[in-house]
Formats: sequence, structure tokens, C-alpha cells
Amino acid sequence: MKRQTGGCCGLCWLWSSLSSTIGQKIVMALTGLALCGFLLVHLGGNLLLYVGEQKYNDYAHALHAQGALLLVAEIGLFAMFVIHIGLAFRTSFANAAARPIAYAMRQSKQDPGPLAQPPSGVMLATGIVVLVFLLVHLSDFKFFSVTRATGLRHQSVPADAAPFARAVGVLQDPISALVYFAGSLVLAYHVLHGFASAFQTLGLRHPKYTPLVKTLSLVFAIVVGVGFASFPFWAWTFR
Amino acid sequence: MSDTLNLTLKVWRQASPSAPGEFKTYKVYDISTHMSFLEMLDVLNEDLISKGEEPIAFDHDCREGICGSCSLMINGQAHGPDRTTTTCQLHMRRFRSGDMIVIEPWRARAFPVIRDLVVDRSAFDRIMTAGGYVSVNTGNAVDGNAVLVPKQNADKAFASATCIGCGACVAACKNASAMLFVSAKVSQFALLPQGQPERSQRVEAMVAKMDEEGFGGCTNTNECEAACPAGITVDNIARLNREYIRATLTAE
Amino acid sequence: MTTEAKPVLDGRIPAGPMADKWELCQRELKLVAPTNKRKYDIIVVGTGLAGGSAAASLAELGYNVKAFCFQDSARRAHSIAAQGGINAAKNYQNDGDSVWRLFYDTIKGGDFRSREANVYRLAQLSANIIDQCVAQGVPFAREYGGVLANRTFGGVQVSRTFYARGQTGQQLLLGAYSALMRQVNLGKVKMFPRREMLDLVVVDGVARGIICRNLVNGQIETYAAHAVLLCTGGYGNAYYLSTNAKGCNVTAAWRAYKRGAMFANPCYTQIHPTCIPVTGEYQSKLTLMSESLRNDGRVWVPLKADDTRSPEQIPEAERDYYLERRYPSYGNMAPRDVASRAAKERCDAGFGVGSSKQAVYLDFTAAIQRDGESTVRAKYGNLFDMYQKITAEDPYKSPMRIYPAIHYTMGGLWVDYYLQSNVPGLFVLGEANFSDHGANRLGASALMQGLADGYFVVPNTVADHLATRKLTPVSTDHPEFRRCQEETTNRIKKLLSISGKRTVESFHRALGKILWEYCGMSRSAKGLEVAIQKIRGLRTEFWQDVRVLGASNNFNQDLEHAGRVADFLEFGEVLAQDALTRNESCGGHFREEYQTKDNDTLRDDQNFQHVAAWEYAGENAPAVRRTEPLEFTEVKPTQRSYK
Repeated sequence: MKRQTGGCCGLCWLWSSLSSTIGQKIVMALTGLALCGFLLVHLGGNLLLYVGEQKYNDYAHALHAQGALLLVAEIGLFAMFVIHIGLAFRTSFANAAARPIAYAMRQSKQDPGPLAQPPSGVMLATGIVVLVFLLVHLSDFKFFSVTRATGLRHQSVPADAAPFARAVGVLQDPISALVYFAGSLVLAYHVLHGFASAFQTLGLRHPKYTPLVKTLSLVFAIVVGVGFASFPFWAWTFR
Repeated sequence: MSDTLNLTLKVWRQASPSAPGEFKTYKVYDISTHMSFLEMLDVLNEDLISKGEEPIAFDHDCREGICGSCSLMINGQAHGPDRTTTTCQLHMRRFRSGDMIVIEPWRARAFPVIRDLVVDRSAFDRIMTAGGYVSVNTGNAVDGNAVLVPKQNADKAFASATCIGCGACVAACKNASAMLFVSAKVSQFALLPQGQPERSQRVEAMVAKMDEEGFGGCTNTNECEAACPAGITVDNIARLNREYIRATLTAE
Repeated sequence: MTTEAKPVLDGRIPAGPMADKWELCQRELKLVAPTNKRKYDIIVVGTGLAGGSAAASLAELGYNVKAFCFQDSARRAHSIAAQGGINAAKNYQNDGDSVWRLFYDTIKGGDFRSREANVYRLAQLSANIIDQCVAQGVPFAREYGGVLANRTFGGVQVSRTFYARGQTGQQLLLGAYSALMRQVNLGKVKMFPRREMLDLVVVDGVARGIICRNLVNGQIETYAAHAVLLCTGGYGNAYYLSTNAKGCNVTAAWRAYKRGAMFANPCYTQIHPTCIPVTGEYQSKLTLMSESLRNDGRVWVPLKADDTRSPEQIPEAERDYYLERRYPSYGNMAPRDVASRAAKERCDAGFGVGSSKQAVYLDFTAAIQRDGESTVRAKYGNLFDMYQKITAEDPYKSPMRIYPAIHYTMGGLWVDYYLQSNVPGLFVLGEANFSDHGANRLGASALMQGLADGYFVVPNTVADHLATRKLTPVSTDHPEFRRCQEETTNRIKKLLSISGKRTVESFHRALGKILWEYCGMSRSAKGLEVAIQKIRGLRTEFWQDVRVLGASNNFNQDLEHAGRVADFLEFGEVLAQDALTRNESCGGHFREEYQTKDNDTLRDDQNFQHVAAWEYAGENAPAVRRTEPLEFTEVKPTQRSYK
């Protein structure tokens, strides 16, 4: 067997490896896990809402004071999302094309059970929901002033509200509350499969550790789901 | 339980690769519960011939679950409802009188239909051609015991090597992915000392060929494992991914 | 038909001491220079252990190989179903094994009806096979220390069988297949799957090509070459019910026979003692349970005839472990022919079990008690599972029911020491030839022979043919190719034009019943004469009343089957004729008139210590029986005893 090596720019080998079906999945797994990390940090920051108004405002100001560093982080985060979502669509279309004629009848042969893995078929669907959620979320916070200025929503929230007040104000908007509550649960379902699946895709599977990964995946999904869904609930019930 | 069954079969008929196909409905009577699924189809075919209708084409050969020739989606399940069982080893006692059974060919872009329930699985051979071997000419071998292989590795390699190449993994996968098939062969050689010299080339070449043949990618649904008559597990797919990453990152 | 003396056949056995014959032979063989090898085309028909290994090895040497199989992939040849193991004289167990002992066991197992020199070479090459397969990455069973494991097989008293659980054939075949695929990648082998060989083309007395039907589009294709290798397996499916795959057939060998190659010892058929019994008329094939099961399973029937109790209800004292009783030193490990006849004898005497009364028990209770269920599961798990799938009974709890079935055919096309048939340029390997197993094959020897022929023998001997024979260039435009192609086309047209009433399947079943009844486990002159008449009648009816639907120019499985059954109907008669002419009992050929007082085979070395090879003499003329005398210099033929 001869091996194909070398290339144009010195990184062609990487590009070519990552272009295969496995390579694309590896990139999705890596970006997915990175985004999971982001979710955790984001959740941690947001949990300051419960600590107190001052703490939360301090955190927000500190974050925004990072300037160029924040910009780099945001660009990185944006890239992760774009790559993850782009590859999701790309692989989904490719996978659909691999079976041009559908079966008249299909049944799973897997054991059904309460802890059965969510079918990966729902990943694209939940992913799209999460994407919509994300866009709403960005419009609420990242582009708050634009959203407000265009007169779309959030007229009741003062334009110069402090971060804490702004968060509470946005979450008290009924559409936002519903989107945040439902979006968080769908996100949890998405990461439930995604988290464990990423380990499998990266080849990290072992009789000793895989059950642990699966448990972690469930715990992580619950933490993410309950954590994020609690904010609109809190904003409506206690504020 | 009665010893014979009356069944309605909905079978995919397609005269040639290019002809449009359609489902046809047939009735079979007094099917013994001891018959295998293929023997039931034999009975139907004998009946069709006597009526002047061409028999249903389906691939089969050893009829003992090892050659990998037989296929069939039976009520939407590859090789029918039983786990680790090929269609030829599926017996009619698994069904009830009055049942309607839908029989379709494997469906995948990489497995075009030849006729009725027969598909072309030569894509698997081409994947094997790309790297599913150890490059050793006849006559070059050292003594069989010159290289020791720990029993647990030999057993694992054997478990991976029992793939019969039937294509049920592709048929059952929602993406028509051949990952389980490829991973079984890559794993067998990755686990044995004989496979080490070409470890990286093998995985790269086989994965490239798999993609080229038009199979889908793996989304870790694990349906292949449930459908595999040889009991190949998705541990192999994880190993394939690992081997692929290893091959990507290591230099020659 | 006639038995008149014809000139004897020459096996071209090299001179010299037995242990040196192969080496001396190789010394004499002419070589083809490396740069010239690429000028030669070689056709290999069949991609089982023999064909796969031969095609790969020849391609490695530099020849252009075209490999053909009727299956959709080379990996599906029926070698894949071999379960138990492969013998090799490695003596890893330090139990006194040697090349000579493997040779002796094989000769004795074959009831002194095989060619000594071939068998000796086989025993010598056996060790190389294991090494080669290990190098290919075949995952043989291993001990904890990492060394290769061995088990015992029937008819021997040493542990020399290498295995991969109950799937040894599969693993060895996939090894050969992978070597073959490598050569496809290197461009040295061109694979032709879903092709059935329908004729051999002989030009100026030398085999120069084949006629094939492309099973997908029905095209009749022609291929020319400098040598043709037939590795097309055995003819067990003549009996309809056998452990062979449904597609196994005699067509390629039979077509070669009709072009002049002689068919040797067709009456040597092996009945395997441990198969799952027949359950009904619809039965399409029989399933073997590996002989290795007899290592731990005990065979018994009730002491009382027509005992209807379930096996658990029959106390130890009322069981007859008849193999242990009759053959105390080999017990349940008696050779296949011996164990099969003993089962038939018990069942015929009314001691059979199960609903059909045509079965005996194979009981693992003792082994499970001794070693534990997990140990038994580790050794035979897949076989037990298979039994349970087919019968819906749990063999861990109640004994298996088994009965003998046609499994292997020792007879085949006649070849000399070089594996070349009497038609120059036509080589025959593996089960398709007759050479190494005599009248009965020992367990775990078929894999050994197929691979020895393909990996180690034929690559040497084909070179000699190519180097020594003046081969004029022949293309598929040659008139002989045209003629054969036309004959093939006409034959197919004829099959499709009969439009009778009976299905191909029904003819096949009918032939199988005749052969099983009169030419199965025991045979008599009277029965064989009846069989011949019945086969002739059935053949006439076939060509008048068979119904084959569909067209010739597309995928038509019924047409494929019809061609195969048509050949079985001709071949079956020669099989019966051979059995009728061989007035002795030996190995798998048991003539009721010739038996010892213990119902064992009674050979007639005076008159039948020879190979019988049948030569085609024309459509309506009886086949001519030719002989090759067998000489024994190393072992003295004796009455086999496994007591």
C-alpha cells in the first residue's frame, strides 16, 4: 500500500483528512464539545443573576471591558457555530443522498428503553430549533439596541438599562420567555446525544469509561436544560 | 400455536436495474413454522413458476448464516426481526398466521438493485481492494508462533473479523453508511501485529474509498450494530475513528 | 457401460524417496523468467480456498490472472462455511505429531485409496499454510501466552488442528480473499464475479479458455488464456440435500469432462455424521454441526427400540453410547464414514430418536458438568446458537439431535502429481480434484488441501506447463471459441424453449432422492442398477418437461439452476456407475455386499487398489473407465481399525 503524502501549502494533508465523512464528523465533534464548554461558561456567568444584581452587572462590565480579547473570543465562537452548523447541513444532505429511494417500511432493531439514545435523526431538527433560538438570543442581547431601535421588540426595556435590568426586562417579554424556556430544553436534548456522540466520533470509547461518558452526557444535558430554562421561569415568577 | 401459517407478502419486484419497481402482493398458505424464511420464498417461487409467473430473485447461497449472500429488509428490519441472525437463519415460527410481511431489497445509492431483491454489493469488494489486507506474498511467512499475539487481542481481532459482508449495516443505517463494515476490517488488522506496518495507509485508503463509493457518514445511531447478523459492535467504529485520527496526525 | 481394461493412467509421480519427492520435483520443474511472466494469462475459476489462494499467489508471481466466481463476491465461496479447523503437522503440542504421522493418518483415513506421494506433499506443506495464514492476519485461536491453540479432530490421536472458533473456513477464506483483493488493487488480478463457467475451450489439445455466462445481463462471454485452473468445489448438491451452499454445482467440472478431462472416483462421497436432521419436504439444505463437537459431545441412542421418552427421562443405564461401545480407543472421535454408518445402522434398527426417528443424540451434559457451561460456550458458542436458531431447542439443556448428511466429495477431476488433468493446461485444485483424500477425508483436511494446492503447489507446476509447452497465440476469435460459445447459447435456448410443466427444483429434488436412497450411505449392485435406470428416465423427462421461465439476456436464477441440474442429471449416472463398478467397500463407499462381520468396510486390494477415472466417449456412448494403479511403499494397506 502506498500512502498519499505531501501537498501544496503544508496543511493539505489536514484539509484532505478533515474533508472525509469521518473528518467532517471529527470537526463537528470538536466544535460541538467546544460549544458545550462555552455553554458551561455562559451558564456559569448567567447564574450570577441569582447571586445579585450588582455581581451580575460587575461581571457583564468586566466581560465587555476585555475589548480586543472579547472580539477575538467572539470571532472564535462565531467560527465554531458556523463550522458546526455548516457541517451539520452539509453532512445531512450528503447522508440523505446516500439513500435516494426510501424504504416503504422501517423499524428499529435496537432495544427501546427509557435511557435509549435519542435517535440521531432528530439532531438536525433540534439543531435548527437551537439555531433559531440562538438568533433570537443574539437579537435580544448582542444586538439589543438594534432590535429595540428598529421597533421590533423590547420597547418596554429602557435603552440604557444596566445588564441585569436588561436581562430581566428581555426575559419578561412573553415571546422571549417562551423561546428561552423551550429553546433551553431542546438544546438539552441536542447535547444529550451530541456530547456522548462526540466521544464516539473522536474514538474515545472504552468499556471502562464509556458508561461514565454516557452518565456525564445525561448530567450535562440536565444541567444545561434546567440551568438555562430556569432563567425565564425565574424572571416571570420572582421578579 | 398452529404448525402452519397463512401469510400475505408484499414484495418489491423490479425487472432490471433501470426498470421502475413496484410492490406486488402474494399470498402463501400452509407454511410450516419450521421453515426458514428463504424456504418460504422457495415455496412461493415454486408456486409462481407453476402459474407461469417469473420467480422472485433474491441472493442466497450457504443458507447457514456465514456466506453473507442473503439480505432482505423484512418489515423494515434488515434480516428480519431477530438479532444476530441472517435472513436464511430466520425461521417462520417467528411469525403469526395472518401476518402481512413487507419484503424490500437493501436500499442505498452504493447498492443499486440488479433485479427484484438482488442488489449489487461490489462496492464492498472495492473498499477491501483499497486496503483490506496485509501486504505479504505467499512464501514470506515466518513460523506461526514466532510472533506472539495476546489471547485477548486475538479474540478481539477475531470478533471483528467475523463480519460476513452482507451489507445489513448499510441497509439499516439511516445514512446508508458503511462505517461498521469498514471498521470491522480496520479493527481486525489494527489489533494484530501483522497489521501494524500498513496501519495508517489502510485506514486512510479504505475510508477514502468508502466515501468515493457514495456511502453516507456515521451519526452514531447504532442501528448498524443492532442489525448486524455477525454481532459486530460499534466499538469498532470508535476504533476506526481513532485509527483515522492517529493516521492523520502521525507522520510516515 | 464397460469395464474393459484400458491403458492405465500415469500420475507422473516423481522418483526418489517419499520425503524428497516434492523437493526433487521442484528441482526439475522449469521456471518462467520474471519478465516473461507478464506475458501469460491464467484463468482461475472459483474463488474459494483453492481458487482464491491460487489466483493471489500466481498474481504475486507476475502472471495476469482472471478470476471468476458465480457469487456476487469472491468472499462468498462455500469454503467460508467450513467450521472446525485446519490440520498442520506442527507438533506444537509435543504429542508425537510429525509430517509422517499426518501423512499416515490421512492415508489410513482415506482407506488406502489415495496417492501416497500427493498426501505426503500435503502433510509437508501443511505447516507452511499455518504460517502463511498467520502472516495474513488470520486470527487463529490462541493460548493466554500468545501461542497458537490446537484441538483434536476425528480419526487421529494427536492435537494438530488449528482453528478460529467454529469459523475457521471463514477466516482462512477471508485471508485468501484479502490476498486476492490486494492483487486486484495492484492490477494483476481482474475479478469477474457473477460469472458462471459453462464450457472449457480446448485448442489443439490444450486448455486455452472458458465460456462464461454473465449472470447479471446474460451475455455469453469468452476468455482466452495460457492455462485454466478449475477450483470449483465438489458435487455434493447432486444429492439435492447436502451441507453445500445452494449454488454449489458440478457444471464447470462436468463441462471440462465433456471436453476430455477424466472424472475420477465419483462414488467417493462423504457423509458427515453430525448434521441437523431433515424436518420436512420443503427442506432446502442441511446444516452441519462441526465435527469438533464430538470432542466434548457424546453420541447415544436409547437402548430400547422405539423409545418415545424425552432424552432427559432416559436414565444413564438405558442409553447406548454406541460409538464408545464399538470403538473404545477412538470412541466419539471415530472417522466420519465410520460414525455415519454407525448412526444409520442404529436408526435402521429402530433406535433412532426425534419425530422422524432418523436422528441420534449428541449430548454435552458430561462436558458441561466437567468444564462448566462458560467453557463449552467459549468453544462452541456459535454452533450452539446456530442449532438453536434452526431447531428452537437449547442444546445447553437437552442434547442435540443429529443425523448424517452429504458433506464433501472426495472424487473429482483426475489430476496428476502436478495437479494437471489429462487435458494439458487444465489444472484442478481443491475439492474439485480427486487427489488427496482417497475414499474418505479426515476432518480439518479439506482446508489444508485447498490451500496447499493454491498457495504452494500450483504456482510451481503451472510455470512448468507454461515454460515447457509450445503455446501458440490463441484469441477468443479462434473458431473453437466461436463453436463453444454457440453450443452454450443453443443449450440455454433449448432449456428456455421446452416450456414443460415441472419445475427445475422438483427435478433436482427427485434426483437427490434417487441418489440418497441408492447411492448414499450404503449401496448395493441391485440398488445402483435401479438408480441408473431412474436417473436416465428422469433425465429424459427433464429435457421434455422442464419449465424454465424468463429470458436468457437478464438476471435469471431459475435458468442458472436449470443448467446445473441438467449437468447433475448426467453426472449422477456416472456417479452411480462408478459405485456399481467398484465391487468393494472403502471409506465413504459402502457396498452392502462387501463388509466385515462388524459391518465395517471390506476392501478388495487385489482388484480395486486403483483410481477409477471416467472418460467421456460421446453423447450416447457409455463413459469409459480407466484406472491408475495405486502403489503403497510407505504404508502397508491394512484393515482400518478404530477400535
